Amino acid sequence: MAKPAKGKGKPEAKGKAKPKGSNKLLILVTAMALVPFSLPTLMVMVCAMLPTLGAALAERGGSRYAWVCVGGMNFSGLAPWLFDLWFGHHTIDYAIHQITGVSMLLISYGAAGVGWLIYLAVPPVVATFTTMTSQRRSVVLISDQKKLLEIWGDGIAKSGMEL
Amino acid sequence: MAANDQQKAIGPSVPLRERYLVYPGAPLPDFATSTAQAFHAEDRRDPKRQFFAVVARPGFPTRTNVMRALKGVDNPGLMTMVEWGVMDWPPANRKVMAVIYEKPLGGRVMANMTSEFRPIPEADMVKKVITPMTEALKKLRALSLTHRAIRPTNMYWATAERDRIVLGDCVTTPPAFEQPAIVEPLDSGQCNPAGRGAGTYTDDSYALGASLVMLLQGRNLVAKQDDAVVIRNKMINGSYSALVGDARMPVQMIEVLRGLLCDDAAQRWHVEGLELWLAGRRMSPLISKNEKRASRAFNFGGKDHTTARELSVAFSKNFDAAAQAVLDGRLELWLRRSLDQADKATAVSDAMHSAVAIAADKKPAFDYMVSKVCMILDSTAPIRYKGLNFLPDGLGALLAVTVVEGGDIKLIAEAILRSITKSWVETRESYNPENSMMESAFNTQKVFLERTTIGNGVERLVYEMNDSMPCLSSHVVDEYVIDIRDLLPALNNAARKNEGKGWPVERHIAAFIAARATFDVERAIYELSEGNPARAALAMLNILAVMQWRLGQGGMTSLAGWVAGLMGPAVNSYYNRETRKQIEKELPRIAKEGNLVEMARVLDNPEARALDQQGYEQARHDYAVMAQDIRNIEAGQIGTDDEGVKTAQQIASLISVTIAFITTTLLLISRFFNG
Repeated sequence: MAKPAKGKGKPEAKGKAKPKGSNKLLILVTAMALVPFSLPTLMVMVCAMLPTLGAALAERGGSRYAWVCVGGMNFSGLAPWLFDLWFGHHTIDYAIHQITGVSMLLISYGAAGVGWLIYLAVPPVVATFTTMTSQRRSVVLISDQKKLLEIWGDGIAKSGMEL
Repeated sequence: MAANDQQKAIGPSVPLRERYLVYPGAPLPDFATSTAQAFHAEDRRDPKRQFFAVVARPGFPTRTNVMRALKGVDNPGLMTMVEWGVMDWPPANRKVMAVIYEKPLGGRVMANMTSEFRPIPEADMVKKVITPMTEALKKLRALSLTHRAIRPTNMYWATAERDRIVLGDCVTTPPAFEQPAIVEPLDSGQCNPAGRGAGTYTDDSYALGASLVMLLQGRNLVAKQDDAVVIRNKMINGSYSALVGDARMPVQMIEVLRGLLCDDAAQRWHVEGLELWLAGRRMSPLISKNEKRASRAFNFGGKDHTTARELSVAFSKNFDAAAQAVLDGRLELWLRRSLDQADKATAVSDAMHSAVAIAADKKPAFDYMVSKVCMILDSTAPIRYKGLNFLPDGLGALLAVTVVEGGDIKLIAEAILRSITKSWVETRESYNPENSMMESAFNTQKVFLERTTIGNGVERLVYEMNDSMPCLSSHVVDEYVIDIRDLLPALNNAARKNEGKGWPVERHIAAFIAARATFDVERAIYELSEGNPARAALAMLNILAVMQWRLGQGGMTSLAGWVAGLMGPAVNSYYNRETRKQIEKELPRIAKEGNLVEMARVLDNPEARALDQQGYEQARHDYAVMAQDIRNIEAGQIGTDDEGVKTAQQIASLISVTIAFITTTLLLISRFFNG
């Protein structure tokens, strides 16, 4: 009798998770369906976007932004060759030609590296900027606290409320 | 001119209810009693009629219920009471209770209990005394009242011709308070004067019988005897023999005297007996049953006692020694063997075993035991408790008089807390439903006494047990407040005089309100002592506001000012300083209007209080959030904490994606333009 109660929250959780899984499946099925028609593109992208794939697989935690950052720059580096493929010779031979050429991989991997640099460099820059603005914010907060104390008395400060 | 000259001679007058004028400068000692003074009085509408005023001793409980009933009663055996009420009394610089009577013109019958006067001849007794007295008793019974002040010193000749006797004042003291023990039946006569209670109709009969003996003889036959001796004689020989002794009584009068002085209250004559006697029906005189004597005396306190009644009196005078006599089993044995009263012996044994079974402090248990044993030994006796003698219906007046006279109320409180009255009910020989009601009332009063908070305790008991007890609060004691309607005006006057010192609702005021209010104030009374100054202040305001609203008494400006000055804790109980300022601004305006109801509405508005509380909670939360932010800033955590890093990563991602978008867009554009 206790078992149903134990799994009480499960149907709701499943209900929420289901659309996400089905989306992934849909993307995967669509990608598989496109494979016969865009195999050259897939070959080029798989080879050139390896840093992005690596970043996506390596990243852990709640906020995963590294692969987006790396991926964006990685794609920027790859874009000229990708366009050549799409607007030029969309064949497997040409795709192999591009992959075997050093320049595409060098530029796209290099761009991915820049993506990593951006990912690593921006937080300290933002933190420095935030610290500068928070000094001003601190003064405003203290002033607001004084106003609250004037209206509501010292009790609100002594009440021991912890957040 | 003559009237003006007379007025000048006796000084200024004081009005009572705008109609009667009382002259403090014209005392009438002939109508005064030991506790009440008498003064010349006049009726403004009919100055030719002669009146006098009896002024009750300030603070003493009077009998307002009897005043209400007797006002305007015209009876051949009673002085006609024309008015009563509270009036200003300049000699005492306070208000007093005064009663206006039509003046009997023939003077007092007997100056004092030891004085001698011309005996009333037997031939005149019926016409001049017994007939008017019977009419008086008949009227009193019709009104469900007892007089309790029938004695020769309180009898007056109604006319200058001295053809009829009337009874004097009976309302300005507690019942039977001024009665000498000799004119009281045995039970009442043994009580403390204030503890006699309103008694029964037959108590008045007895007093009349004792008075008739003195009227026939022209003196008090037992004037030289001590009260204790008279009481002992009454116990041993019966009241008739004790009061008449060897004196010769007219044969015709013996029957009526024996009937009225019968010690058995159930057999004692009252109106019916007197009316039959007056109608000429003669019956055999009642002979009182003598108390059963023991075959062997019981020695206690160095004296031999041969009756249970005598022993009961002796025990009541020495509780500690009595406890020993009971505990060693001598008493039980004596009752069983010498008096042959097995039922009493068993009752004593039960009382003893109950006391011994109590493991805690023995002394109170033994005191209770002796008190009960006294009642078992003499089931017609009053309650006896360590020198305190009273009848249950006299306990209220006894307490009131003790409080007024500044006496020690410890014994009375003890008697109530130990439910001594319960023993009295248990030891009665016959069942009386009134006793059960009385016991229930005592249980309630015990609860009041057990609570020591404001509005309870002894003060509450004084007012609960005495309907006509004036409020004894120092704020209003001079205003003689007996009616709750007079309390707010009296407090208003006190505020004007005292400039608002202390709290208006102190112990006596709270107890007086709690006892007299016909509306519910118990919750507010409870909050007065809860220990929270704000709630206490609001409770006080609410009590006064409810009174003002219920009684429709506006314009209490001084009182409102006094109360407003005490509302600091209540105002400060609002968290919001703006609200406080607003209320503080409003209070003087409301006080000027004397509107306590509005003051209570402003200070104790539930909606405003809920909003204030809500705002306070919000402010508390906001303050805490701000404090946390400030701490974070000071700790340098802003931008480097998880949230900051996440934001920065989002920015980095945005930059990267934007670059990708721009690059892709530019490449596409260049493709299109370059073909």
